[in-house]
Amino acid sequence: MRTRVEPWGAWVRLDAPPALVALDHEGARAIGLEGGDVWTSTTPAPSEPLEAHVAVTSQCGVGCDGCYLDARPDGAHVPRERLEKTFDDLARRGVFTVAFGGGEPLMRPDLGELAASARERGLLPLVTTSGIGMTPDKARALRAFAQVNVSYDGEGEVYTAVRSFAGAPAAERAMRLLHDAGVPFGVNVVLTRDSFPSLEQTIRRAYDLGAREAQLLRYKPAGRAAKLDYVSKRLTREQVALLGDVVRRISCEMHPLGFRIRIDCAMVALLSDVLYERAAELAALGVFGCEAGAALSAVRADGRAAPCSFLDPGDVVRGKEAPCDTCALRKVCRGGCKAVSRFVDGHDGPDPECPRVVRARSVMAVDGRRGVRGGGC
Amino acid sequence: MSKVERRNVRVVREGHGANCSSIGSVIDTLFVAQVAAGALFAIVAASLNAQDASPDSDSDAHKSTDPLE
Repeated sequence: MRTRVEPWGAWVRLDAPPALVALDHEGARAIGLEGGDVWTSTTPAPSEPLEAHVAVTSQCGVGCDGCYLDARPDGAHVPRERLEKTFDDLARRGVFTVAFGGGEPLMRPDLGELAASARERGLLPLVTTSGIGMTPDKARALRAFAQVNVSYDGEGEVYTAVRSFAGAPAAERAMRLLHDAGVPFGVNVVLTRDSFPSLEQTIRRAYDLGAREAQLLRYKPAGRAAKLDYVSKRLTREQVALLGDVVRRISCEMHPLGFRIRIDCAMVALLSDVLYERAAELAALGVFGCEAGAALSAVRADGRAAPCSFLDPGDVVRGKEAPCDTCALRKVCRGGCKAVSRFVDGHDGPDPECPRVVRARSVMAVDGRRGVRGGGC
Repeated sequence: MSKVERRNVRVVREGHGANCSSIGSVIDTLFVAQVAAGALFAIVAASLNAQDASPDSDSDAHKSTDPLE
């Protein structure tokens, strides 16, 4: 059990069941914690992240069209000494989990040792891989991680349409090897207009291959994906309108099988119509919207810290522009994905692909053409 | 020492996730029967009471924003 005292109580990382739990003062005292000055001080202090995403290499032999890091075959591994200093810093700041990414982490020969190094510091190590280059030995080495996620956007041509290379067989082979090695794993599914129609089939296939959860990822305009064809790859408005029902249906089908469905921080805004009335439940279940630079931090391959893997180093501006200023979901969603709003609108404003934002802007545009001002007569 | 009660549990973020690019949250609990979320909080409280209470964090105190605010 790892803990972190906060002004309102404490965060506690549980291993069984695996969870991050927020306790109030009374609950924290019941497990032997005492907050001291933190519980009595009225001086504001900066937040520290709960989770950090660390690029351990910028090397990758594939070259996906939408790579957010612009990883390349001639990229370099981050020196181990520097990574261990990063782990020291994250542990000192009370971070709970560290997710290794890249580049392709499997290209590092010392991946298992790095995971052990993170664990020695009290950090829970996790890793994402394309699965390319997986061998039985490498799969066994990944037992050092609390969980592994394999990028898997769909079978055959679906995968190829998203990433522009035929990587589905390698991902499926990697899943079989992880399963045989007894490594708990899930899949990351990037939702584009090509992968969305077969999402349910993709989830079922991953389950059949031994995955125990799927994380649904929004396609984001960062790295090599930050170009004009982003708008032809992202979900269509019609698909966004269907998304809530699809996620609900998959959840109800897979939950009884012990298979979990996750959404990434950028998906909350896309699901705003379905989630709007349930903001309090979302908060209680610890569902995170944009936590860039808050609960989430990233460390790039060059060692620079960033708010998240998709944003350049620097602060995130969290304003209260309409329609987010009156939205019941804002405290969870936190304005949606800043990688998207920066790319589409040029600043950290409301998520331009949130259905509520889309509707509000179309009303404002109509009112503007009619010369309506301030809603008056 | 008192016990952790259900009412002391403010937030439960299930699982640990493993994505390296964006932070993920379990969502299926929201869509299955409401009793599941209630049961989850009760299970967590019971698990906390069964744990070794000695924290292993060497970071004694931090100041993150209230998860429910």
